[in-house]
Amino acid sequence: MFFQQLITGISVGGIYALLATGYSLIYSLLDFSNWSHGEFAMVGAYIAIVFSTMLPFPFLVAAMIGVAGGALVSWLTEKVVYRRIRSTGGPNMFLMIGAMGLSSVFQQAANLIFTGQYRSYPFKLPVSTIKIAGAYIGVLDLISLIITAIILIFLMYIINKTQFGLNVRGIACNQWGAKILGVKVDSCISKVFILAGCLAGVAGILYGAKYNVWPTMGNIGLKAFISSVLGGLGSVPGAILGAVLLGIIETLVSAYVSSSLRDFFSFALLIVILLVKPSGLLGVDVQDKA
Amino acid sequence: MKKSLATVLSAVMILTLAACGGNTAAPATTAAPATEAPKAEATEAAAAETEAPAAEASDEGPIKIGYVGDLTGGTALWGTAGQYGAELAAKDINEAGGIMGREVVIVPMDGKGDPSDSVSALKKLIDDEHVVASIGTNFSSCNIPMASVADEKKVPIIATAASNELVTVDENGNLHPYSFRLCFIDPYIGEVIGSYAAGTLGYKTAALFTVAGNTNSESVGAIIKDVFTSKGGEIVIEEQCQEADMDYRAQLAKIGAKNPDVIFVLMNDYAKLATFAKQARELGIESMLMGHDGWDSAQLAGEAGGALEGCLYISRIGFNTPEAAAFGDRVTELYKMESREAECLFTRDGVYWIKDAIERAGSADPTAIRDALESTEKFEGLIGTLVEDPATHNPAMACALFECHGDAFEYKGIVEAE
Repeated sequence: MFFQQLITGISVGGIYALLATGYSLIYSLLDFSNWSHGEFAMVGAYIAIVFSTMLPFPFLVAAMIGVAGGALVSWLTEKVVYRRIRSTGGPNMFLMIGAMGLSSVFQQAANLIFTGQYRSYPFKLPVSTIKIAGAYIGVLDLISLIITAIILIFLMYIINKTQFGLNVRGIACNQWGAKILGVKVDSCISKVFILAGCLAGVAGILYGAKYNVWPTMGNIGLKAFISSVLGGLGSVPGAILGAVLLGIIETLVSAYVSSSLRDFFSFALLIVILLVKPSGLLGVDVQDKA
Repeated sequence: MKKSLATVLSAVMILTLAACGGNTAAPATTAAPATEAPKAEATEAAAAETEAPAAEASDEGPIKIGYVGDLTGGTALWGTAGQYGAELAAKDINEAGGIMGREVVIVPMDGKGDPSDSVSALKKLIDDEHVVASIGTNFSSCNIPMASVADEKKVPIIATAASNELVTVDENGNLHPYSFRLCFIDPYIGEVIGSYAAGTLGYKTAALFTVAGNTNSESVGAIIKDVFTSKGGEIVIEEQCQEADMDYRAQLAKIGAKNPDVIFVLMNDYAKLATFAKQARELGIESMLMGHDGWDSAQLAGEAGGALEGCLYISRIGFNTPEAAAFGDRVTELYKMESREAECLFTRDGVYWIKDAIERAGSADPTAIRDALESTEKFEGLIGTLVEDPATHNPAMACALFECHGDAFEYKGIVEAE
């Protein structure tokens, strides 16, 4: 049964990872936690719902439009809200407060437009499962995990092997230094928001396919935040590791302790990490991480 | 500095999570009117004394009946269906001449399926809107605190599907004189489910799956456990989830290891139930899944995608009479709903029961309505014939068995405790 729980934990953690990397990327550049990040997942999921159920688009096309929508909204929040706050020289706390406000705005807007009802995609996959070494994994979960893995590998490639990734890491290390060396900081930040929005959009669509779509589904972003703190805020590999670990920890607590204590453990872990190792598992610069 | 800030924020998040309890899908915020009240009424309400008895405002003009339901949260499907059912009933009554010649107006208020929001909504309905009675909610967790408010304000409320005993009596067994309900109570349905599973179906082992902190789920579960074990069955494992959970595989893996004959799944949200069933089948669990009235949703079977095939639940008669089906169809068509939801039948019956009480009392005074509701000998509604027990305010009603076939649950007949 332990192996089964491990598989389940990795499956849960996979969705957290897609969101946690977005958190980490933005934190690494702007030193603030984008609390509205989970809502980009919700927006992406709803856009895919609209295009696949109300408009005659094939689901895959609708999903891609949903991902693009998540990216667009993420970029717009940077352009309209965060950049303006930054340009006034306000403290990072203002960014965080702005993000909290945006989160509420997105949730309420979704409530008004779509009501609180659950929405589901037009396809209904038959309940099918694969048995691996005595453990079961649903086909949808497996597809979701494979997509997540491919995207995260691609993300790691972008961050570590491209000029854009180098710029991002440069800004994360020293924004002013990067600027002096010719890096277009604002442009780079915008692109990171687009990238994070894409990741959130994919997460939202996968999450929606597994559990339906509803206005407050972006609250899963809280778990992604814990994941990124656990792995090390600002560290993309750390966020992935933290997310998978959190998924496994939550599943094991639910299975062997009590599901009622699952969130208690998750948030207690957050406190412990901040107190004992604020840089997280793979974070480097302690003062800049938390 | 940043470390301190992050620590404080984390602590705030924990407290927020705890405060949200089981329902993060419906964040706790102040209740707001579901629809814009007419300006004249709003002005009238604002001008009225807060402590003015509702009866004063009910002597002339339209008779206002409140409705508290989840209109924007995760279970808004039921809440809005309830609102529409009440509004259509009022429309029908008004077209037939109203109640004693007076127009009936339904005033909906969003309780978000949350206890504190529902209490706030009821207070607003009574204090600001001067309703003579109120219908809703369908959640025991909301109606238990609302009952005390109704007693204090002396305005009767009628719960729809809230089936916990404490909705109409307090923990000491004292009656809430102003709290009524339109459904049978948890012990009754729990007794029917437990005895039917152990008796007619002959199951020997069972798993019990409830929602932590959900009064209805836990209380029905406790009764099922008692009855099932008293009839020779064994509960081999008990598991719980939290209200906002969408993944149950950790608990299901443990249940699967026990291989029970039946899993009693006492959840109240069709999307989560469907997810539960799909995850159970994905983990290779082939046990029968059985449920209670929380399964009442036209979307459940389809959403489960075959994972509930052959599974059973016990609830009310629902849309299985021509009159109920016709009313459900009218609500669905008129309000452009995607499916028929039984909540519209409850609220429809609630409005007609209040009409019946006002006409018998010859007055729309809230206390007179209360007295008339309590003395109801027989009320013929769309959800069945209601016989009121004045000592407990728990009506006697029949239970129905439903079985999943394809994308729908089929009505199998009446069942009673064995």
